[in-house]
Amino acid sequence: MDCQDEVNCGLHLVIQTSSLPEKSKVEFKLNKDTSSFPGRLLQHDLERNYSSRQGDHINLVSSSLSSFPILQRSSEEKILYSDRLSLERQKLTVCPIINGEDHLRLLNFQHNFITRIQNISNLQKLISLDLYDNQIEEISGLSTLRCLRVLLLGKNRIKKISNLENLKSLDVLDLHGNQITKIENINHLCELRVLNLARNFLSHVDNLNGLDSLTELNLRHNQITFVRDVDNLPCLQHLFLSFNNISSFDSVSCLADSSSLSDITFDGNPIAQESWYKHTVLQNMMQLRQLDMKRITEEERRMASVLAKKEEEKKRESHKQSLLKEKKRLTINNVARQWDLQQQRVANIATDEDRKDSDSAQDPCQIDGSTLSAFPEETGPLDSGLNNALQGLSVVDTYLVEVDGDTLSLYGSGALESLDRNWSVQTAGMITTVSFTFIEFDEIVHVLPKLKIKFPNSLHLKFKETNLVMLQQFNALAQLRRIDQLTIDPQGNPVVNFTLWKYYVLFRLSHFSMQKINGTEVTQNDMIMAERLFGILAHVASSELPQYRLISILGDARKKQFRYLLESKGKKPGIINEENNDSKRLVGENTNRATLNYTTKDFYNEKLEEIKEKKKFCKTYIEDLVKEATEINMKNEALQKLWPQMFIELVRDAVIEIRNKNSYMKLCLQQITDQK
Amino acid sequence: MLSPERLALPDYEYLAQRHVLTYMEDAVCQLLENREDISQYGIARFFTEYFNSVCQGTHILFREFSFVQATPHNRVSFLRAFWRCFRTVGKNGDLLTMKEYHCLLQLLCPDFPLELTQKAARIVLMDDAVDCLMSFSDFLFAFQIQFYYSEFLDSVAAIYEDLLSGKNPNTVIVPTSSSGQHRQRPALGEAGMLEGVEASLFYQCLENLCDRHKYSCPPPALVKEALSNVQRLTFYGFLMALSKHHGINQALGALPDKGDLMHDAAMDEELERLVVRSKLHRTSWQHRAKEPGAFGFQRREKQEALERVSSASVPTPYHYRWESRE
Repeated sequence: MDCQDEVNCGLHLVIQTSSLPEKSKVEFKLNKDTSSFPGRLLQHDLERNYSSRQGDHINLVSSSLSSFPILQRSSEEKILYSDRLSLERQKLTVCPIINGEDHLRLLNFQHNFITRIQNISNLQKLISLDLYDNQIEEISGLSTLRCLRVLLLGKNRIKKISNLENLKSLDVLDLHGNQITKIENINHLCELRVLNLARNFLSHVDNLNGLDSLTELNLRHNQITFVRDVDNLPCLQHLFLSFNNISSFDSVSCLADSSSLSDITFDGNPIAQESWYKHTVLQNMMQLRQLDMKRITEEERRMASVLAKKEEEKKRESHKQSLLKEKKRLTINNVARQWDLQQQRVANIATDEDRKDSDSAQDPCQIDGSTLSAFPEETGPLDSGLNNALQGLSVVDTYLVEVDGDTLSLYGSGALESLDRNWSVQTAGMITTVSFTFIEFDEIVHVLPKLKIKFPNSLHLKFKETNLVMLQQFNALAQLRRIDQLTIDPQGNPVVNFTLWKYYVLFRLSHFSMQKINGTEVTQNDMIMAERLFGILAHVASSELPQYRLISILGDARKKQFRYLLESKGKKPGIINEENNDSKRLVGENTNRATLNYTTKDFYNEKLEEIKEKKKFCKTYIEDLVKEATEINMKNEALQKLWPQMFIELVRDAVIEIRNKNSYMKLCLQQITDQK
Repeated sequence: MLSPERLALPDYEYLAQRHVLTYMEDAVCQLLENREDISQYGIARFFTEYFNSVCQGTHILFREFSFVQATPHNRVSFLRAFWRCFRTVGKNGDLLTMKEYHCLLQLLCPDFPLELTQKAARIVLMDDAVDCLMSFSDFLFAFQIQFYYSEFLDSVAAIYEDLLSGKNPNTVIVPTSSSGQHRQRPALGEAGMLEGVEASLFYQCLENLCDRHKYSCPPPALVKEALSNVQRLTFYGFLMALSKHHGINQALGALPDKGDLMHDAAMDEELERLVVRSKLHRTSWQHRAKEPGAFGFQRREKQEALERVSSASVPTPYHYRWESRE
């Protein structure tokens, strides 16, 4: 019997079964072991697979009546170890019948091959039953063991927890190493202190209510994904969840509510790999003293709370960020929608006007190919319908102003007013890129002076959906201090379709020496080409204009610049002086181009309106002059015609008068005396 | 000066024919508008400059459209200015769309109507897709006809429509030898096969038009010449023929012949000078400007460079002073 060497105290049994032939008789020799077994049963001893050190002489005799072997001990043994019996490693396949030992309290069947728990119902005083390492498939045969306190069924083949109803005094239940999939039928075990369900097939933990005395729960090496009901265990102190499948703290959230827990293990779970693992656990379970078999220090706790707070902050921040982003997206969509409507409306008006003006002989003029077809009647009601729909929308902003590091983005024409805000010098100084979207370029033109003053470092301008249609409009950009880069997005800016637009920009804004247009570098050749194409225009515009025109055009430009200052509030004297210098510098910028200005359509029409009065006056004034002149001319001509006749008459009258010398002399004297 | 025909006209008519009043009114209006600036250097000088510029044809630059089209002389000046300024574009060989040409026109006249440009484009493209690219010379000559003779062309269009629909606008036919040859209107069924109208009939109506109306029209003789070798013509064919006719171009006197369109020796010289200067300007600027340091530093450099550049090209106006930033 080789196995005897491993055992402290072996039992040699002689088993005889009737069903087996003689030669299978197995003889067990009993060894006398002098080591004494502690007389008292200590509580903690029961928790371990204790090896019974007995020096029994046991005989198993076959009974002729049944197939079960019958156990017999020598009376010596019976007296010495009256309350305990150890049948460890006896190669038992069934539980033998134990007669005459009804006072037994400890029974050890470790390391056998027992498949069913049987023949022990008579041992009603049993306190500890150890069936570790057998082949038991079902818990049964325990219903009479009402005093049982320790039940060790580890390393068997049990698939289900059942038939423990009467074991109300159970203190330790060890079911590790089985095939249990569900925790059940233990709710009545109100004295249970230790429950070992390690190395089973549990996938979740619940149904633990009623275990009012449980202090230790071992669930290592299962497949647990979530834990519930632990907060219903008022005495639970140690919970071992190592090597399971827990991945988030939410799935074990009930642990936070358990005030008795002081020791917990999570190692071997996915959750233990997370960066937030330690401090989340510590933060949520302030009552813990030990985590993963290591004591928790004050320092760790402090770190945990700090980190947890940071996590909270971060989460709040990102939530806020995503809210903001959403709001921004909605606003931009709203602005885009309004922009589209506006464009369609403008196009429809233009179609109407063109229809009125165009010749009957010619087709109605086509405008931008992208607009709707020219059916103003149809789109009228549609337009109002859309309008109504818009008004029904929840209140969303109609414009958006966003500062993102060095970029200022403006969406919608309402955003232009934001340039009036009190920008901090630091923020304003950092802005190098200004982007305009969904705003009419003509409206942007009016705020360019403001831009120049408030954001002096803006070097890159971007325009998208701003209705840039004419090369002329680029003239307006000349008034800025400096532009290094210009980006004109083709979307919503028809001017980009022109072949010459880039050259014109380079020509008109040559004093900026721009580096990039729409992302591509500006080369020396580009500049030369621009000069070649439009140089003569500049020459004509400067040297061939009469002096007074030069002055009036430039004067207009200056007046426009000052208009902003006059309108702005809270101007400082320093700024005005700078403006003065600036405008003089503007003049000096490049006089041969400075006359190429851009006046927005509205302003232009305004000016023409103003001139109308003057024109009328001039007309009448000139008419008067002409009238006078023609009258004088007529009189002159009449005189020319009549003069010969008049002359002759004059001469004739004179001759007639002098014909009679005497009477003439008398007449003359008469005249002289009359005069006196 | 004192020719009998001139004295034969009553005063108003004479003045009107020469458009003297237009210019007088405009001059006074300009004076009123820029009172403060002009009073600085004297009214007499102003009038001198004004009428000098009228003679030179620079008075229409950057003026409103109503003024630009007011007199034939203005129109001619405008055409000439357009040619001179943008000849380089044509020389470069770029083909542009109607919209782009319109843009160029607007650079010189901010409120130039799109209509006219569109009509001109239709002449070039024979009423086909209006978005096609056109060469500079084609466009310019067509535009010349359209712009200078715009009222005339409107009436011609009306006449054409009438003829096309079979009505003869001449209720009173001038008794000429050709009246007996009055052809029958084409039957409706044949309308599709015969395009346009009879050249000779068309010409008769035009002649009457020229006689009847006072606004400028092309010399009838030249028109006859243009129509001489065609039997039938369409409206746009007619306009195209007009625009390509050298004689009419010369009669107008605004633009050189097609062959010489791209040549302008004086301007080319000037342009070369400008290009060289801009090259210098840019290299000197690039030379000096290192990393964008303090703003003031850069500005100063540019200022100096500019001073050198601009002073040569433009006679420094007396009341602008360069700020020296030493």
